[in-house]
Amino acid sequence: MWVTKQVSVRLKFVMMIFICLGCLLIGKLITVQFFQHDFLTKKAEENWDREVPMKSLRGNIVDRSGKLLVGNRLAPTLYFMPAQNREPEKVAAQLAPMLQMDEKKLEEQLKKKVTIIKIAPEGKNISYELAEKIQKLQIAGLYTGLDYVRDYPYGVLLSRLLGFTGSDMQGLAGLEYQYNDLLLGKQSAIRLFTDAKGANLPHVEDGWREGQDGATLELTIDVDVQKVIERELAQAMEKYEADQAIGIAMNPKTGEILGLASFPTYNPTEYQKVDSKIYNRNLPVWMTYEPGSTFKIITLSAALEENVVDLEKDQFFDPGYANVEGATLRCWKREGHGQETFLEVVENSCNPGFIELGRRVGPTKLQQYIRDFGFGQVTGSNMAGESTGILFSPKNYGPVEHATTSFGQGISVTPIQQVQAVSAAVNGGKLMTPYIVKKVINSENGKTLKTYEPTLKRQVIRPETSAKVRNALESVVANGSGRGAYQDHLRIGGKTGTAQKAENGRYKSGEYIVSFIGFAPADDPKVVVYVAVDNPKHGSQFGGVIAAPIVGQIIEDIHTTVGITDRKEQMEKEYRWGDVEKVRVPNLVGKTKEEITELLYPFRIEWHGEGEKIASQLPKADAQIVKDGTIHVYLEKQ
Amino acid sequence: MPCLIQRDRLLLMIATLFLTVIGIVFVYSAGSYWGKIHYGQTAPFLVKQLIYLGVALLSFSFCGRYKGLQSEKTWTLLYWLSILLLAAVLVPGIGVVRNGSQSWIALGPLSLQPSELTKIATIVKLSFILSNQKSTGSKIHWRHFGYLFLPIILIMLQPDFGSAFILIVSVFLLFFISGYPIRFYVFLIIAGVVGLVGLILSAPYRLKRIQAFLDPWSDPLGSGFQAIQSLLAIGPAGLYGFGFGNSRQKYLYLPEPQNDFIFSIIAEEMGFIGAAIIIFAFGVLIYAGFKLAYKSSHKVSLYSIATLIGMIGFQAFLNIGVVSGLLPVTGVTLPFISYGGTSLVVTWIAIGIVWNFSKER
Repeated sequence: MWVTKQVSVRLKFVMMIFICLGCLLIGKLITVQFFQHDFLTKKAEENWDREVPMKSLRGNIVDRSGKLLVGNRLAPTLYFMPAQNREPEKVAAQLAPMLQMDEKKLEEQLKKKVTIIKIAPEGKNISYELAEKIQKLQIAGLYTGLDYVRDYPYGVLLSRLLGFTGSDMQGLAGLEYQYNDLLLGKQSAIRLFTDAKGANLPHVEDGWREGQDGATLELTIDVDVQKVIERELAQAMEKYEADQAIGIAMNPKTGEILGLASFPTYNPTEYQKVDSKIYNRNLPVWMTYEPGSTFKIITLSAALEENVVDLEKDQFFDPGYANVEGATLRCWKREGHGQETFLEVVENSCNPGFIELGRRVGPTKLQQYIRDFGFGQVTGSNMAGESTGILFSPKNYGPVEHATTSFGQGISVTPIQQVQAVSAAVNGGKLMTPYIVKKVINSENGKTLKTYEPTLKRQVIRPETSAKVRNALESVVANGSGRGAYQDHLRIGGKTGTAQKAENGRYKSGEYIVSFIGFAPADDPKVVVYVAVDNPKHGSQFGGVIAAPIVGQIIEDIHTTVGITDRKEQMEKEYRWGDVEKVRVPNLVGKTKEEITELLYPFRIEWHGEGEKIASQLPKADAQIVKDGTIHVYLEKQ
Repeated sequence: MPCLIQRDRLLLMIATLFLTVIGIVFVYSAGSYWGKIHYGQTAPFLVKQLIYLGVALLSFSFCGRYKGLQSEKTWTLLYWLSILLLAAVLVPGIGVVRNGSQSWIALGPLSLQPSELTKIATIVKLSFILSNQKSTGSKIHWRHFGYLFLPIILIMLQPDFGSAFILIVSVFLLFFISGYPIRFYVFLIIAGVVGLVGLILSAPYRLKRIQAFLDPWSDPLGSGFQAIQSLLAIGPAGLYGFGFGNSRQKYLYLPEPQNDFIFSIIAEEMGFIGAAIIIFAFGVLIYAGFKLAYKSSHKVSLYSIATLIGMIGFQAFLNIGVVSGLLPVTGVTLPFISYGGTSLVVTWIAIGIVWNFSKER
């Protein structure tokens, strides 16, 4: 044996180094195979995944009673895996005529050097029958993926709220966009076990990845309410050649939005054809403008809550203007309303009268009420793109600003803020958060995943004050500027609004947003309805003339839907010149033909049937009809 | 102590045979699909590898016995022959380019990689030179470096950095064992660090290369591709692996899985346990080899055995280090296991020389 001390030491040293290197390798393997195991497994699965997607169903959107607003329609899509078929020319020749596409073009598509080809657009979302026919050809490497497209049973209804989806079912606008994650679900897929180039591995079975259907979104919207609102707004758009129109119906006690409309509207299946402003702007929450007189409800509520006015006893003289710090603020009625009670101030929507009310409340307190009623911040309705509006900042809030704010000018608010505030003013003083989604439901087993409950933000005014506000607003509709909204037995209350449009801080001459916010019934409000028409071009541009009748009509048409029963005690409408005079229908049932002819009613009577005695009548007794209107009477033989 | 030597030689042979058998089995498993796709046969690599194994065993039995190998003259001849071959490989028409390197000489159906032979010839030739040296005076001699750098330059011209690197490390290991002063290695380490830092500072793109190595995911389809595909084989395997034949990555995800990256397929199919056993087997081989070196009766035997074993061990470390992501990718085969005739035959020749030199003389 030949070995020196030095060589022996050095050999041992080298052996030690090798042991260290071995440990290094073992350590690295432990890191990779244990600590990074999960991460690498995930990555590897992504790497191996060759999936033919079987779209899981996107969740439906339904209204509050479960009526389908947005659903899905089966529309299969063709996929081709080039590695599994070496004759793309033959495939193209077979498929091209069926898909009605150019054979050369298809062949080119099929020859792409990728693992999986989606035959698009001709092979995307084809009809079910065509897909079946193509399947019968049994072309190797050709797969039919179960695709769906969005289906809208009500067409354009609600489209600006609902939004739409893109070509891969991803939500692009509206609720589809905002609740995309919930609606989307998880995609199912056939997992193909292939080599890296996509060729099938004959000895490995294909797998299936179970996805999950998207959740169903149940809205607070009531389709029947929505239909009425959209019908009325569509008519108004046409009649007045308006630029835009907005409508909201809300349950004032819960904040549930029953209807929400923006015009012009669009067809969600053809969203490419319209300006993106139309589908990206949900006007009721997005648009901000000067509220005008509807805002006087806030001033009124504040004045009543602070007990600075007795509406019936306190008097006010309106010369047609008010002087504030040298500035002359005019009433909308040039010659002024003269001597009036404060109830008449409200009925007449008299600006100097409201300046007085605002003065009595005081600037600090009025500001506080405005904020308490929810202005200056988003309502939290969970609809995308909500604006905050603009209020005067406290340091810019001088006497003039205070005066204009009192009658709704110089500030900017959203429609939904107004609906939220007025709801609080009439529901007993509770500021409720408006909301649009009622429930999220698991589409597969129908279980409720999440329920949205009414949320009370704060008590703004006392219930007694609220009752006074309701009373005053009912009188606005019965006797004042809101008479256009009057409907018999429904006890509608409300307030008109007319505001000049502003652009870049200046008023645009001749362009107005006319609005009306109404509620019914005045003794127990079940619904608040707001309508605004942007820049009507015909008729006098006053909320009382244009918007009030629309709200009246809407409430009339939805009153049974929202559960309003006829009221016995109501303020009778004060007749004014120009109003269509209405009279009550007497009870004719049981009377004889002779009796009626003797009574000389101021109606035309149309007789139906034969006989002497009256069996029934239309309209029924106590209903209102136009003077000289017709009553249909049905006779029976005795 | 002949019986003890016999025990160590037995241990060496067991480790060598074990690794070779593992190699045959996994060249089949890893390469079957690749072979089917590229050559239309399920086992083209297995058949060839078995033929190479036959050649390797013949070479081993020759080298293990041939007395001529114990004379320096033979090695001087072999050294210069390998230099000649290295030069020849660079001549267009003789040398064949594969994977970007002109490292092969084609001889009809066979092909030869001269650099593999050069590694052994250089190591044994230098072992003779070092063992003949007088023990007085400085050990460091320019002649040693001449013998080293002549083949290194030729190999770098191919270029084949992997082989060059292994040869340099092996020869420096030889110098170390032969008693080169520690300060030489201290200087080497300092020079290495300074040089590396200097290289990085002089060209910022090198820093990016290092980052790319540290985080292969930054470029998963480019520079990080092989490293990532290898990790995707090893990582998901866990403790037990997917079982023999059940690799997923061998289905064209990992290119040429029977070659440099065969260890990742072993780790994928046999898990951490299988991978650790391979590392352990190399450990046994190195241990037995070093024991034989320690007990050799001649200086030159000690030097040669230790260096040849060290070379095999270091190459194994380099390969497994690359495959497991510990080291940046360099094209180095896993001794005994990777598919390839020259690699298998030359490694067995090295073992043959160890066998030959460890005999009592």
